[in-house]
Amino acid sequence: MLREGVIVMQSIIEVEGLEKLYKKKRALKNISFQVKQGEIFGFLGPSGSGKTTTVKILTSQLLYTSGRVKVLGSDPARSRHSEFLGKIGVLTDNSGTYERLSVYDNLALFCRLYGVADRRIETVLDAVNLNDDKHTLVGRLSKGMKQRVTLARTILHEPDILFLDEPTSALDPVNSGRIQQTLREMNSRGTTIFLTTHNMQEAEELCDRVAFLNHGEISALDTPQALRLQYGDRSITVTTQQGKQVVQQNDAGANLIRELIQRGDLLAIHSNEPTLGDIFVKLTGRGLE
Amino acid sequence: MTFSIRRFRAMVKKEWKDSIRNPQILLNAGMPILLAVLFNQKEDEPSDLTFLSIPILVAISITGAFVQANMIAEEKEKNTLRSLMLSPASKLEVLAGKSATTTLFALLVIAVCLAISGVPDVNIVYLIILSILLLLIFMALGTVIGLIARTASESSIVGLPLLLLFIFGPIFVPNLDLPALMKIIDVLPSHQFMLAITALIQDGGLSQIGGNLLNLVLWTIVSLALCFLVYGKKRFDK
Ligand SMILES: Nc1ncnc2c1ncn2[C@@H]1O[C@H](COP(=O)(O)OP(=O)(O)OP(=O)(O)O)[C@@H](O)[C@H]1O
Ligand SMILES: [Mg+2]
Repeated sequence: MLREGVIVMQSIIEVEGLEKLYKKKRALKNISFQVKQGEIFGFLGPSGSGKTTTVKILTSQLLYTSGRVKVLGSDPARSRHSEFLGKIGVLTDNSGTYERLSVYDNLALFCRLYGVADRRIETVLDAVNLNDDKHTLVGRLSKGMKQRVTLARTILHEPDILFLDEPTSALDPVNSGRIQQTLREMNSRGTTIFLTTHNMQEAEELCDRVAFLNHGEISALDTPQALRLQYGDRSITVTTQQGKQVVQQNDAGANLIRELIQRGDLLAIHSNEPTLGDIFVKLTGRGLE
Repeated sequence: MTFSIRRFRAMVKKEWKDSIRNPQILLNAGMPILLAVLFNQKEDEPSDLTFLSIPILVAISITGAFVQANMIAEEKEKNTLRSLMLSPASKLEVLAGKSATTTLFALLVIAVCLAISGVPDVNIVYLIILSILLLLIFMALGTVIGLIARTASESSIVGLPLLLLFIFGPIFVPNLDLPALMKIIDVLPSHQFMLAITALIQDGGLSQIGGNLLNLVLWTIVSLALCFLVYGKKRFDK
């Protein structure tokens, strides 16, 4: 557990030279990365890039072809199963819920399977904003509400690592905002989060570091800020009465801006920071959707 | 292998709450009761003693195989099995929870069927032993069907040949003139069960039903082995 003040930047997930072959299809091509304890790590990539495959391997649902994988200090394919599973929380891209049971009964089952007290149910339902519907049958809920039930179930046992495969894909902005808030709170209490998404804004707001996955390869891995600095062209847009104008960060640009300021013509000035989405396109030649 | 009673009980509780709201399962459980009512109308044929065993046979086989298969297949269809497998619950705990619930259902259905058709006047100890073996066999077969089928409705389709051969075979084929088919029917546990009950009704003892009992024990071993074989194959996705 990570406690405030005692920051040991230990790797909680280590992946080296990971390969996954489905029959002949090479879904993961020699990927390597580490996730540190307490981090929110974003795994970004378009559909079919291998995000779910990676999550499945890390959570012992799928065997890998070659390479080295360590999660919480052991190989997920070989670890003592139920002990390992008790320390991780997994939200898959198609997690199901029992539709003929109430929200509460769904969570009560998992409380007992994980060995946690029933009063956790109230807490997690608050976190996903579903306390008003706790006695509703899950079959009567909307898609986004079901997704929140699944998320509530995933965090019931306060796992050391949370694996979230597209956690907010069916949510409206209000609820995805609330869930991001919940994730941040859990993270500040020590939970490491491994998140896949193709929502760049979510990644930008939430993640300490992001990896770009493209056709099974990692094409960049860094903090969102470092990526922006590295791949931005560092130009500046100035707005005057005459309109917008892009200037470079050199002597000519500096002179122009000084002139505009002296003349009192400068209305606005912005650095042209690229979004993560822009950088992804620049690196891979393809968009994220 | 770990087995936690807490997790097992949680599974039984959930299965029970879920099943009694599941129309497909209620239909499967209701069928034997309906058949018991129908067969009860045939009382004017007391010469055919096999009819006395039919309500129990149907109750055990349909409930045992189909309720079990349905419960397992639906977990796959709705992607809930994945959530269970990602929790500390073991496959054994999950399967034991389902089997216990199926047994509960079977006991209820048998009780209702017997209330309708009357308890056959036989040695109760033998009747119970024979019934337990038959239930084990059909639950094991139901588990195999549930593991093979991908959806709940597929489990009914996959189970249909079993239903026709194992359950209706011994009931109807003896009256038809089909010696080749009858040879197959003869080794089925359902038929052996009927023969044993008939022998018991005629005051037969262990020497009369020994062969039938042996057949059922062998079927129990083979079907449980088959069940664990199929069950053991799936730990990971491919
Ligand atoms: N069971 C499977 N058998 C064969 N190929 C598969 C299997 N699962 C995934 N693949 C292939 O592996 C590649 C990566 O798939 P994966 O599901 O990991 O992508 P993803 O990044 O999660 O996509 P999405 O954003 O659509 O969920 C895809 O090309 C897919 O076709
Ligand atoms: Mg995916």
